[in-house]
Amino acid sequence: MRNFAHINATSLEEAVEVLKRYGKRASIIAGGTDLLGKMKDEILPTYPEALVNIKTIPGLDVIAERNGGLAIGALTKLEDIATSEKVREKYPALAEAARRTASTHLREMGTIGGNICQDIRCWYYRNPNNRFPCLRKGGGRCYAIEGDNRYHSIFGGSVEKGCYAVHPSDAAPALVALDASIRTTRRTIKAEEFFQVERLRTTVLDADEIVVEIELPPPQGNSAFLKFALRKAIDFPIVNCAAVIAVSNGKAASARICLNAVYVKPYRAFKAEQKIVGKTIDDATGEDAGAAAVADAQPMSCNAYMVPIARTMIKRAICACT
Amino acid sequence: MKLTNEGQLPKSAFDAANDANPYANITSRLFFVPDEEHAFEQGNVETGFAEADKVMEFKARRWYHTWAQPELPTAITRWNSGYAELWVKHQHVYEHRQAMSHWFGLPMNRVTAYAPYQGAMFGGWNWMNWSTLIHYVTAVLSRRTNRPVKLVFNRRDDFYGGSMDCAVHRFKVGAKKDGTITAVAIDSIYCNGPKAPEPALGLAHFIENSRIPNLFKHNVPAIVNKGPVTAVRCEQLANTLCFNLVFSHVACELGLDPTEVALKNDGADGRDTTHLAELKRRYGKPNRDSLRECIEAGKKLMGWDEKYHAAGAKRLPNGKMHGIAFIWDHEWNSRRGAGTAGILFEPDGSVSLLGQHIDIGVSSQTAYCQIVADELGMKYEDVVWRQPNEPGFAMMTPDGSCNLCANGHAVRRAARKAKRDLLEFAAHGYVEELHSSPGAFPGYEPDQLDVRGSMIFVKADPSIRKSVREVVQEVQCVQYWRHPQIFTHSWKQSGGWSDPSGTGGMDALAAYSRRPQLGRQAHFMEVEVDTETGEIEVTKVVNVNDVGKAINPEGVEGQQYGGSIMAVSRSRFEEVVWDMNTGVILNGNLIDYKIATILDCGPIDTAIVETGLGYGPYGANGIGEDVGDHCTSLLGPAVFNALGIPVDDFPITPGKVLKALGKT
Repeated sequence: MRNFAHINATSLEEAVEVLKRYGKRASIIAGGTDLLGKMKDEILPTYPEALVNIKTIPGLDVIAERNGGLAIGALTKLEDIATSEKVREKYPALAEAARRTASTHLREMGTIGGNICQDIRCWYYRNPNNRFPCLRKGGGRCYAIEGDNRYHSIFGGSVEKGCYAVHPSDAAPALVALDASIRTTRRTIKAEEFFQVERLRTTVLDADEIVVEIELPPPQGNSAFLKFALRKAIDFPIVNCAAVIAVSNGKAASARICLNAVYVKPYRAFKAEQKIVGKTIDDATGEDAGAAAVADAQPMSCNAYMVPIARTMIKRAICACT
Repeated sequence: MKLTNEGQLPKSAFDAANDANPYANITSRLFFVPDEEHAFEQGNVETGFAEADKVMEFKARRWYHTWAQPELPTAITRWNSGYAELWVKHQHVYEHRQAMSHWFGLPMNRVTAYAPYQGAMFGGWNWMNWSTLIHYVTAVLSRRTNRPVKLVFNRRDDFYGGSMDCAVHRFKVGAKKDGTITAVAIDSIYCNGPKAPEPALGLAHFIENSRIPNLFKHNVPAIVNKGPVTAVRCEQLANTLCFNLVFSHVACELGLDPTEVALKNDGADGRDTTHLAELKRRYGKPNRDSLRECIEAGKKLMGWDEKYHAAGAKRLPNGKMHGIAFIWDHEWNSRRGAGTAGILFEPDGSVSLLGQHIDIGVSSQTAYCQIVADELGMKYEDVVWRQPNEPGFAMMTPDGSCNLCANGHAVRRAARKAKRDLLEFAAHGYVEELHSSPGAFPGYEPDQLDVRGSMIFVKADPSIRKSVREVVQEVQCVQYWRHPQIFTHSWKQSGGWSDPSGTGGMDALAAYSRRPQLGRQAHFMEVEVDTETGEIEVTKVVNVNDVGKAINPEGVEGQQYGGSIMAVSRSRFEEVVWDMNTGVILNGNLIDYKIATILDCGPIDTAIVETGLGYGPYGANGIGEDVGDHCTSLLGPAVFNALGIPVDDFPITPGKVLKALGKT
């Protein structure tokens, strides 16, 4: 790795101040499980001059009950979320999403804030030494379109940029399905609106903006999270799915379903939700919902297999909510 | 019979749409096809197909995979006034001395090599032509700077070092209704091999351990825009993959129990088991049916008789399809090279086994020290193998595979000579010009003495005894002392059992030192296949190996467990992905190049069969590598049995399963 300044912030205000001072030449580091790999491989055209360590800021790793829901500090480790009785009881989808992320060691380092802010895993984007200066880095093309895109989007590229790299988070779809909000040093943003596709960015955060906590509203129904990956541990998802369904009189009163790793950001499966509201939840309903969700899929040359997997994940997540 | 027209490129026909461009299956950027094709034929396959009740055709493909060794390639050289010291991480340590001598004109006695613990290597990179050159680089730099120089690869460098076994195979197989295979023809394209493939690559195991009389193989190398490939050789995956798939397809397509098909076709050199029996008699081996013993042990552990079913016939309560499979093959043998070993009694009575060797974690240290201790009558803990040091002897490396046969014999011979010398000293002492010793057991002849538990004793009266330490101290000379140390050495060249009169069709392969193998192995796998997602779950693996004699049973089991996990990994996940447009590796790291975790492998059960049919010492066979190699294609038959359709495109990913099911 190259040299860089390492600044231990003792407060959010100090961290923001440092970020303002460096502009885009600084990066926030918490668990570091994503950032350090990027730096070692020098995948980006520029290298951060400074890392602002926010692990030294007290009070950001707390899971607290608030207004009938939960507030989870941005520095809360994924393993703590996976094993938290409060989370497992009220929000099993989030607990399961955290449990299925990476490996035990990484979950003991990685934070929920870092997980939702992580960078994409596209193997063109991540190729060492900025071998592929792609659209996402300010280059002129997406190499995956004519290359090996077996892990890329099945719902098209981002409208503005034409990037087909998927968002890799397991926690993100759970937060979208749970209708969570992200509180930052500047504002509160609905999880669904938190993610976006920009050059060198996966969120709407400004360069000097820091995630402070995740706010979960009171549970709006039963929730479930399913992940399909090649290996049972470590891997990023090929497809994951979170569902929250409120059941009344044996029928679905409301539903929020979100896929991830199938699109450039978490993919809310509105058509699947519409298919099940007002209906009894069973295999047939789940099947219809899954089919509706992938009806708009536009698989690329190597990833058509993700379509039936996404359909199945939706069906099974829906059935798991009963 | 020809699978191809004279002068034309063979067609892989893996996808019908690609018949016009057979190489489309291996790359989108074919650079060129070298002007070399290699064919091998035994018997007449047209005759064999005519005799068959059913002729079946199918295809298989193995994509690039790699060794991904845990400890990365490293070289250290210290050049010091015309002497060179090397710290080598390579299977062929001794050859580095020769190379250094050749490159720099240094006499070999000025080149010293050390071989500390290497970590697992999985063969691969040691066979790349460039792999010794990292020492050349460090030597040049060390000579110029007059400092020791170390070179270490990073993970990505290691991925670019090379891959293994990318090939496309097309099969045509004839069989009778009872499972007797009458002919096998295989047409293969191999990618980027370092040299032309052996003519019979892919057929070798049919020749060595089947009675199939009619065989044909056609191999073509292709150069594509991907990195270099090795292991298209030896006992590696092309041979095992072709062998396993032919047997499983015959069983599945004829609706026969694959264990019965195996037993029906066991043999060697196109002849049946009576030929094997004759070979066993000729070589003084017990007339045991190794394959049957392995199958019986494995069936019991797997619960085969209760679980086996026809292909595509069993859906489980969880909705998944159940699959169960069996494969078999011969055990590892002695095929190449020679091993030399020395035995030295240290002045304190401890024993050093001398012979440079690398330690790749297969527990050969234990096995060889066991042999020495057992032959000498010493306690195991009194024997140490000084394998990293260079005593001037080179043992075959690595170990646990064919090299066990050469090294084991060399070690045993040296130990037996050392014991004779020890008892000679004990009985007669020595007489030198200035000094003499009457011996520790005056009045006894060497054959009246023996050694057990590091104690020398009189056979007729074991109460008359002295420790080896006492006896050795009496005769040993260090500085002012008296006699030179007790030292012996011996060697063994492997492959020395070849019998040209018994090899028939294998005469054509004499250059490769092939010969009939007598020991067998059998492997079983149980899977569940999710037909909605294509996910395969391996729920049980059983490994049975007839190692002839298990010198170190825990080491044998270690190879079985490790081989199984490696095989599941290779068959489900491992693939080096290259960008077709640029030739850049896309997954040169251990996140995107996926190696199975213990969660992905299912429980593994093992059994060891000991028939004494091996060519090694005590009738032992090697086992290193072979479980990993053979079982890599075990998943194909298991998925075939589960779904009733073959998905022999390795690694078998969910996407390929879904495609085979018509869901994409």
